[in-house]
Amino acid sequence: MIREESGDLIQGTLEMLILKALARGPLHGYAVAEWIEQSSKQVLKVEEGALYPALHRLQLRGLLSAEWGASENNRRAKFYSLTAEGRKRLNAESQRWARLSAAVAFVMQAS
Amino acid sequence: MSLHQLFLKIQSLFRRRSMASEISEELEFHQALLRDRLSRNGVLPTELDMATKRTFGNASRWQERLIELWQFGSLENLLRDLSFSARMLRKSPGFTAVALLTLTLGVGANTAVFSLINGLLLRPLPVPQAEQLAVLRMEEGGPQPNYSFCTPFFRSLESNHDAFADVFAYNPDTLQVQGRSANENIPGMLVSGQFFRALRTAPLLGRYLTPEDDRPGGSPEGLAVVVTEQFWETWFDRAPDVVGRKLVIANVPFTVVGVMPKRFIGADPTRSPQIFAPLATDPIIDAPRNHIDDGIHAWWLTVGARLQPGVTLAQANASLATVSRPILHQASDDAEFIGEEEKVHFHFVAEPGSRGFADARLLFRRPLLAMFSMCAGILLLACLNLAGLLMARGAARERELATRLAIGATRRRLIQQLLVESLLIATLGTAAGLAVAALVSRSLAALLLSGDSGWQLDTSLDVRVLGFAAFIAVTSAVLIGLVPALEATAGNVNDQIKDGQHARQRLERRRILPRVLLASEVALALVLVVGAGLLATSMVRLFKSGPGFDPHELVNIAFRMDKQQLEGDALMRQYQQLAEGLSRQPGVKKVSFEFIVPLSHRGWNGRYGAPGAQPQLMYMNSVGPDYFATMRIPLYQGREFTWADSKASGLKITLNRSAADLLFPGEEALGQQVIEERSHSTYQVVAVVGDTKYRDMREPAPPSGYIPIMQDEQKKPSLSAVVRTDGPQAGLASAARSLAARLAPAIPAPTLSTMNEVLNDAMSTERMMALLSVFFAGCALLVTAIGLYGTLAYATARRTSEIGIRMALGAQRMRVMLLVFRENALVATIGSGIGLAIALLVSRALASFLYGTSPHDPWVLVGSVAALSLIASVASLLPAVRAARIEPMAAIRRE
Repeated sequence: MIREESGDLIQGTLEMLILKALARGPLHGYAVAEWIEQSSKQVLKVEEGALYPALHRLQLRGLLSAEWGASENNRRAKFYSLTAEGRKRLNAESQRWARLSAAVAFVMQAS
Repeated sequence: MSLHQLFLKIQSLFRRRSMASEISEELEFHQALLRDRLSRNGVLPTELDMATKRTFGNASRWQERLIELWQFGSLENLLRDLSFSARMLRKSPGFTAVALLTLTLGVGANTAVFSLINGLLLRPLPVPQAEQLAVLRMEEGGPQPNYSFCTPFFRSLESNHDAFADVFAYNPDTLQVQGRSANENIPGMLVSGQFFRALRTAPLLGRYLTPEDDRPGGSPEGLAVVVTEQFWETWFDRAPDVVGRKLVIANVPFTVVGVMPKRFIGADPTRSPQIFAPLATDPIIDAPRNHIDDGIHAWWLTVGARLQPGVTLAQANASLATVSRPILHQASDDAEFIGEEEKVHFHFVAEPGSRGFADARLLFRRPLLAMFSMCAGILLLACLNLAGLLMARGAARERELATRLAIGATRRRLIQQLLVESLLIATLGTAAGLAVAALVSRSLAALLLSGDSGWQLDTSLDVRVLGFAAFIAVTSAVLIGLVPALEATAGNVNDQIKDGQHARQRLERRRILPRVLLASEVALALVLVVGAGLLATSMVRLFKSGPGFDPHELVNIAFRMDKQQLEGDALMRQYQQLAEGLSRQPGVKKVSFEFIVPLSHRGWNGRYGAPGAQPQLMYMNSVGPDYFATMRIPLYQGREFTWADSKASGLKITLNRSAADLLFPGEEALGQQVIEERSHSTYQVVAVVGDTKYRDMREPAPPSGYIPIMQDEQKKPSLSAVVRTDGPQAGLASAARSLAARLAPAIPAPTLSTMNEVLNDAMSTERMMALLSVFFAGCALLVTAIGLYGTLAYATARRTSEIGIRMALGAQRMRVMLLVFRENALVATIGSGIGLAIALLVSRALASFLYGTSPHDPWVLVGSVAALSLIASVASLLPAVRAARIEPMAAIRRE
């Protein structure tokens, strides 16, 4: 559903990226997809519809809250924002990710 | 699932539609922005749709995923299964109809009988803390528990009790209440002082009866009664000032002191008294009888008690054991009586009484349980039958199921779906059964408790009955569905798809289970048929045995003379006038009188003997002139009584054949003297007549004697006129009423019953059991036939091509028919064998219900097997004939 240049990203990773995207403030789904694509320098390409099950799951788990509001072109759009719990989770996830990626990099660089 | 999630999901449950539109709006918003971007990036308008889809994915699939996310997965699956199952059932209406009908029958019968059992045996009294109530009985070493107390025992128990908060007694009675024109018979109850206190139900108006009221002459304010809400409605029109009004009962004024609410039914769930009067007023209400002064000779009270809080039944029994002897000695100075009771270790026992006490319970417990097992048999049969049919259908669907397994459905999911299907059948069947049950149980109760015994039974549905029905539904769903579902989804997916119906080995194994099911079905049906055969045969024999008189076109008219003024010879003259008045009615052939209506369960006995010989126990009746001719009891020797047989003319007696043979073996009885043991009165035998049944149809006619009504010891005997008519007696009731109103205006309207009704009531248990069991046996045969036919038809349909090949290779049609027929013949034979063995074992339980019929009656057994074989053959022949008609080419080409 979300493709890297080679292989799939696991579900948890997508959820982490979504939390990260929303760290700076409320966004609607399209903006989340756009942000992930742009900030990964077009490496991470999401099949954009796949974003929504992840968004709704996070909302159901209470990590995101959702509200309907007006978009930049004045259409009704659903805006997601982090809840306190979501922010906590983001912190935990980014630390875990940092440790994990450092460890993986370390292994891959070993001679 | 976290709490938060649950909350959101539940919320979404209530805004399902707006949820769906919000989701699609959200997705559309995204796609719109995406299209804008794509067209800005130079995608051609004609390719825009495709490009959007490539980048976004299938929008409707995402939409579905999102909706699923917000739903309760298993619940929604269940709903989908339900609608799928409903579709499947609609597609095979024949199967569905059979399934529903058999289940409705099974569930309906079970629930109906269960609600009877519930009403009679299970339901607690609607009073606070019913579990503290106890019922008292006496142990006298006999096989039957004795629940009938005499007044001295009860009064002693009432006044010295430690373990009990209250001890109370009651006796159902018919009260004669003065209406506008004459006295009316109202069902009532005599209750002791602590009765209401023990039952702890607040009156609707006024107060209830207290120990103050339960004294000779009543409380200082006079005699008091409490009436029910129902009586307050019908008699007083719900007058608000009813408390303080007078009711004239047995010609004595009583004051209404309170009204009890509708839910209060007293302590006997099978009675519905309208008026409660103090026990101490018995000499007034039952005048001229006096159960209180009769002391230890009147065993008329049912005794109950409420335990002290915190006292157990065992403690109460220990305390009762210590008081039993002193109470016995206090009750009477009859040394012989006390000695006999002490010899059998007489003592009082308390037993749990939360359900109150009903004498009907003792009588109907066993027939009800027998009926219940019959019903359970029918339900089991219905379930077996459906399981068999479902299995056959599952076999027909095996390719569908295998395909679903192959494309990723889990086995659990398929089993769930198949179970949902059977649950749907079971639920629909149960619902229909419940609807039927309500009607059936009411008529069953009427059938069982018929007659003027005054019994009533509340068979309404309550939590227990509904719970039972739910239990039945689930059990039968599992019984019906689980085995077929497990069978149908077992096995190798590849084999199924590849080989379809040719998976021979599995097929062989799989044919065993349906055969086992069918054989058990046949066995069960045979057991039911044998049971029904025995009960019906017994019923017919009982009916044929006859009562000893001719009950057809015979009417009893009961006059209650105990509360009017005339007595002795004057009353006899009035009876004579009534007889003359009745015999002038059109269609009336003969009129006489009797004190005890035969087979009405009332009785009177005494010891009579030839002079110098040992007195013998005899059943007695006092009857009017022309009695034997009216009843068509053969008069072997001597003469009928006449109005001239007065007290002054010397005591006369007529013996029946058995009594004559007993008292005067080998001698001429006519003209002999007979002496009554207690009074030493001497009677002269004036006739010998035929034997008649006395109290019970099942017992042989006992030795009995008749004395003329004119010589009856009672001052004011209440007699029944027996009227022999020709043809229907429509006008007789009103004629008797107007005659009584003219000649004896003070008495309640006389009540009519035909002798056939009395006889039917005397056999009501047998009749009901015979009727029901025959009905059930018929159903069992039908269900078994359907099962045999259905399973074989499915199996044969699946073998169409095999049979086609056999025939193409030259098999004779006759042989093909035999081939198919043999399948069921084997099953039916094995089933019958097992069924016969079970029937031989089980039918012994019926022995006590049977009259003149052995539980192993060979004709019944042979007949049952023959009936079952016939039905099974017919059911199996149809598919066999159809198989023989298969056109080989068409059958082979179908593959």
